[in-house]
Amino acid sequence: METPEGIDLLLRPAGLVPRALAFAIDLAIRAAILLALFIILGMLGNFGIGLGTLLLFLVQWWYMVLFEVLNQGRTPGKYWLGLRVVHDDGTPVGWTSSLTRNLLRFVDMLPFGYFLGALSCLGHPAFKRLGDLAAGTLVVYRERPQARPALPEVEAAKPPFALSLDEQRALIAFSERHASLSAERRLELASILAEPLAVTGENAEAKIHGIARSLVGAP
Amino acid sequence: MQLSDASVSIRPRSPWEALDLGTLLARRHAKLLMTTWAAVTLPLFGLISLLLWQHPSLALLLFWWLKPLYERLPLHILSKALFGETPDFRESLRAFPGLLRPQLLASLTWRRLSTTRSFDLPVQQLEGLDGKARKQRLLTLSLRSGRAPSWLTVVGVHLEGALWLGLLGVLYFLLPAQLVQRWNWEDLLGLSAEWLWLEHLSNLLYALVLIVWEPIYVACGFSLYLNRRTHLEAWDIELAFRRLRQSLLSAAPAVLLACGLLFWPAAHDAWAAAPTADTAQQGPESERLLNQPLTSETARERIDALLDQPPFQHRETVTRWRFGAQDSPQEPGALARLLERLLQGGSLWESLESLAQALEVLLWTALALLVALLLWRYRDWLQTFGSGIQLPARRRQPAPAQLFGLDVAPESLPNDVASEAERLWQHDPRAALALLYRGLLSRLLHDFQLPLKAAHTEGEVLARVRQLQREPLSRFAEQLTQHWQHQAYGHRNAEDVVRDELCAGWRALFAEESKS
Repeated sequence: METPEGIDLLLRPAGLVPRALAFAIDLAIRAAILLALFIILGMLGNFGIGLGTLLLFLVQWWYMVLFEVLNQGRTPGKYWLGLRVVHDDGTPVGWTSSLTRNLLRFVDMLPFGYFLGALSCLGHPAFKRLGDLAAGTLVVYRERPQARPALPEVEAAKPPFALSLDEQRALIAFSERHASLSAERRLELASILAEPLAVTGENAEAKIHGIARSLVGAP
Repeated sequence: MQLSDASVSIRPRSPWEALDLGTLLARRHAKLLMTTWAAVTLPLFGLISLLLWQHPSLALLLFWWLKPLYERLPLHILSKALFGETPDFRESLRAFPGLLRPQLLASLTWRRLSTTRSFDLPVQQLEGLDGKARKQRLLTLSLRSGRAPSWLTVVGVHLEGALWLGLLGVLYFLLPAQLVQRWNWEDLLGLSAEWLWLEHLSNLLYALVLIVWEPIYVACGFSLYLNRRTHLEAWDIELAFRRLRQSLLSAAPAVLLACGLLFWPAAHDAWAAAPTADTAQQGPESERLLNQPLTSETARERIDALLDQPPFQHRETVTRWRFGAQDSPQEPGALARLLERLLQGGSLWESLESLAQALEVLLWTALALLVALLLWRYRDWLQTFGSGIQLPARRRQPAPAQLFGLDVAPESLPNDVASEAERLWQHDPRAALALLYRGLLSRLLHDFQLPLKAAHTEGEVLARVRQLQREPLSRFAEQLTQHWQHQAYGHRNAEDVVRDELCAGWRALFAEESKS
């Protein structure tokens, strides 16, 4: 996805499994709300039944829509799973699309238990169910703020040759992820670059860390 | 295994994204995966069903229990396809018997109900690990990999169920209604022998569902496994490093060596000098260019002033009426009093009932308002398209001024029609009868609002009069019409008796109006 300003936005559509889990969470929340409501309102006679029916309507039909529109495309279930609903072009979802995609849930459910929705979701390249297709929406992974990984404390070193962006990223990633790699694997990886860096295999790792630190800059 | 041959972009993903990658992977090779799966499972399913024809549930259980065996084939295909050596249908099937042997018993007994089956399978099949080594390897891999494999299985179980019931639902919808009505549900549930085929049919539907879902399930497990190894072994970094090394070494080793020898010490010096230079160097915030009219300070001030002006800043002042503050203390007081009265005036119960009624009234009002609003909103539309419905009823055709060549406008008639007719009868009976008939038509048109047209005949006019269901009027009209027809078309003069009768009839019918 590229904006008119030439900025690339990466949308990562979410597939069936996280979406199904998010839906299950939402379903459980709704069921809990309705159960609590009916227990409380059941004690209030006719008034309670009337109010309960109203609230049932509200919860059943507007729960998803209200959360999606007012909470940046995230129902509680989607929030939990790190998902959000956006338009196809990445803009926040609006009333029309949200209503469309949630009303068409009933088409997705045909003939039983999201039969059509599941098939459509498995078959579409962007994992859209029928409601998403009609409303032009997309369920994507939300970008979560990440803590900056700590780089190993070594002296910064200048790279001895020009590096493209991808190569810089790889060097930094090696340094950032060194904690999750075993020592043998680190040595193995670093020794790939030992020859171009003109150092021995054992020193290559420290050298790469140094280059990464200079690329990242001061913390 | 050559990472550079991988047909998917290798990068560390979240477990959920890895699952999605599996779905995409399965879709890319969907045809091969589904046909091979069908080729393996459907004959087996047929065999099991035939052997256990009397016990359909047992047949299904057995078929389901053997699932880990069939799953080895899609994994084999996927692992080959990942590195670009996609086998064709024949090769895949030929490879299948060889895949079955290892750890057959374990897969079908104590590992059958493991929820991480899809994730464990690659370790067992592709790495060929068994026993303790396998356990240790799995422990390493599943560390911090989250619960995605288990969730995958949980979702898979539900999805299989939903798809199966969905297919059954489709089948049910397709049955003719007569057949469904004749069904005896007790027979169906009572497992009578005639309905065995139906149970086997529903088992077959399950086998069909697996054709769609199982390749995806296996592919998801495989991609989770790949993702975990990418995390643990930094495959993406290895790829990038190898590429970098290749480009550096192949491009210009001599130049590189020269660079290394020549610039290395210099670069090192520069780096060592950097920290001191950093503190001494003037940043953009410090005051610079002090020896010229436009110093950095004034420049910044001017830039700030410019940025504060309209193209960059848009400010507006909004003035608006607000309610005075004196209302706020009253409102809670009124509400509190209302609540108090509600609670005191009757029991809480009654007040709730009345509240319910109030709510109901409110809702109905809201509905009425909504309808009114809609009508108002679409009034133009309604005027344009809705008036066509009411048009013929509302707009009356203008009454014709002449019928049968007779002037029937009320203005053309004398005030007292009967007396005038009596007077005319003396010398011109035809004119007298014509006057009476004219008078009648005129009355019918204007007093009784009969929609008469110039095309109507006398008989049709009579029929219309009869529809009014006024006995004296229709009798008089019949009489008059008959005599008028005799006079007009037969030129037969009526007798004086007729004159008196008609005039009396006229007076009796229209007396009050003629008086007034």
